[in-house]
Amino acid sequence: MAIERADVLRLVDAAFPDSAIVLTLGGTAREMLAVAGRKANHIISLDAMGQTVSLALGLALGLEAERPNEKLVVIEGDGALIMGLSVMSTVGHLKPRNLVVFLLDNNVYLATGGQPTASSDMDMVAVAEACGWATGRDVRTADELAAAVAWAGSADGPVFIRVHIGVAQLKTNYFLEDPAVLAEDFRRWLKAAQPSSSSLG
Amino acid sequence: MIDDVLAAPAATDSQEDLLDRRSRAVIAGIEAIDPAFVLHLASSTLKIVLDHFISGSGACDGRRVFAMPREEEGICIATGLELAGSRTVLIFQDNGIGNLLTALLTLPQPYHVPLFGVVTRRGGLGEYNSMIHTVSERSEALLDAAGVRWFQLDTRTPLDRWAVEIKRAWQFSRTTHRPVFMLVNLMGG
Repeated sequence: MAIERADVLRLVDAAFPDSAIVLTLGGTAREMLAVAGRKANHIISLDAMGQTVSLALGLALGLEAERPNEKLVVIEGDGALIMGLSVMSTVGHLKPRNLVVFLLDNNVYLATGGQPTASSDMDMVAVAEACGWATGRDVRTADELAAAVAWAGSADGPVFIRVHIGVAQLKTNYFLEDPAVLAEDFRRWLKAAQPSSSSLG
Repeated sequence: MIDDVLAAPAATDSQEDLLDRRSRAVIAGIEAIDPAFVLHLASSTLKIVLDHFISGSGACDGRRVFAMPREEEGICIATGLELAGSRTVLIFQDNGIGNLLTALLTLPQPYHVPLFGVVTRRGGLGEYNSMIHTVSERSEALLDAAGVRWFQLDTRTPLDRWAVEIKRAWQFSRTTHRPVFMLVNLMGG
């Protein structure tokens, strides 16, 4: 049985309640809102594709020294990642230990009607490793997903997890929050959240 | 006589001297900001500035300096850095402004994230590329059309004011919670 996007979002939200989570746009963000609610530690890249991992890389670098024991988690899609694929080399070069990317790969641009992406012909984990990421793995089953989420919390990054998902979508409402409010909520959460004293592993 | 004067500019006005003096003023301005992160694009006219931060005294402890392969990627990385509270400066050429507009107008601008970029001018006096003016001459118009705030340093501003004005433009990005660019003409004019 295929893993669906909402399954991954539920697991990631539950596994990283005190981590900053950067979400790609569209249905992914709306489904996270549907399964987890509006959370100040979630920052959503609301519009343009190809920005999410870059935004998260900046956050990871900025928080790495002050909060070395905390993960910076990214939820990205295959279509969006391919639009800004050069960031894979930048991450591999800079090697932020706290960065964890979950690539939810359904081989299509689901938000715009299901047009195919090039990801079906790409070994994305191999791309990450060739670019210098610390580690990565492919996930195809629910058991592999649970294991990968647990592993991501303790593995030295940057970590790249490609989750092969289906194309089922939850029915959701549009999300019309002012982005300035999203950013300010996220900043306040960062200021209020105490750096964790636990070890990465 | 006039031909002799035009053909042989004073040593202090040579292209190399001008580039050197203006580049050092830009370096002083960026150092006054004291950024923890410096992100840069490849640029021949910025070589003196980039050398300072990559391998010179500007490559100091507590500061990370790295190349962004594309302007839009740099805008997004810098937005994340600023959200995390890290002082960041972007350095790139004006012919890359077109590349960054979508990222700029969908991320830091609507999210009210202050961002600061030093943007070197191309395509004007002293230019050696026969094509680049076709995009660089539109820089101000592109930024105006996009509603992006910018200031400019060229021969109209005394060189001893450049560093101060660069620091003030960075401060203005904090005051107004948005991206601000300082266009700097290193090549002449």
